[in-house]
Amino acid sequence: MSADHAATLDAFTKQNKISYPLLSDFRRAMLPGYDALVTDEKSPIFRYAKRAYYVIDRNGVVRYMKIQDNALDLLDPGEVLKALKDSGA
Amino acid sequence: MRRMTPLLVAALLLAGLGVAGLCSAGPATALEVGQKAPDFTLPGPGGKPVKLSDLTAKGPVVVFTFIQAFTNT
Repeated sequence: MSADHAATLDAFTKQNKISYPLLSDFRRAMLPGYDALVTDEKSPIFRYAKRAYYVIDRNGVVRYMKIQDNALDLLDPGEVLKALKDSGA
Repeated sequence: MRRMTPLLVAALLLAGLGVAGLCSAGPATALEVGQKAPDFTLPGPGGKPVKLSDLTAKGPVVVFTFIQAFTNT
């Protein structure tokens, strides 16, 4: 999920052979409700997504969330998988 | 009274800043663990709409957000 246009994400998916769906929040409709929208007047993108991770269970309840202050701080995939297992989701 | 004026002005300024701070603190209902995730429908591959609740109906979902495609973010 990012604030890129859907066509951009399609091209990105194709180029990197990404096996999961990338969703486009081009209208910034979803990001604010997830506390994952940055407004930066100095950035050419102006309003864009933070790097954040959420585990949502079958009932639509948030079981885990981590919003990174620094966009370059990638979370270890193992931590997300562990959160998924621990959540009992 | 003259001595008091700068103090009064400072106090009013601080009070104003406090109110402004509260107002800009963002949405009152910040998302937390244990809360219902706001449902959304967004264009996915090929522009086809993808709905969160359709995905969670099939099982747990991991959502991650990133900054911009074709960059290291």
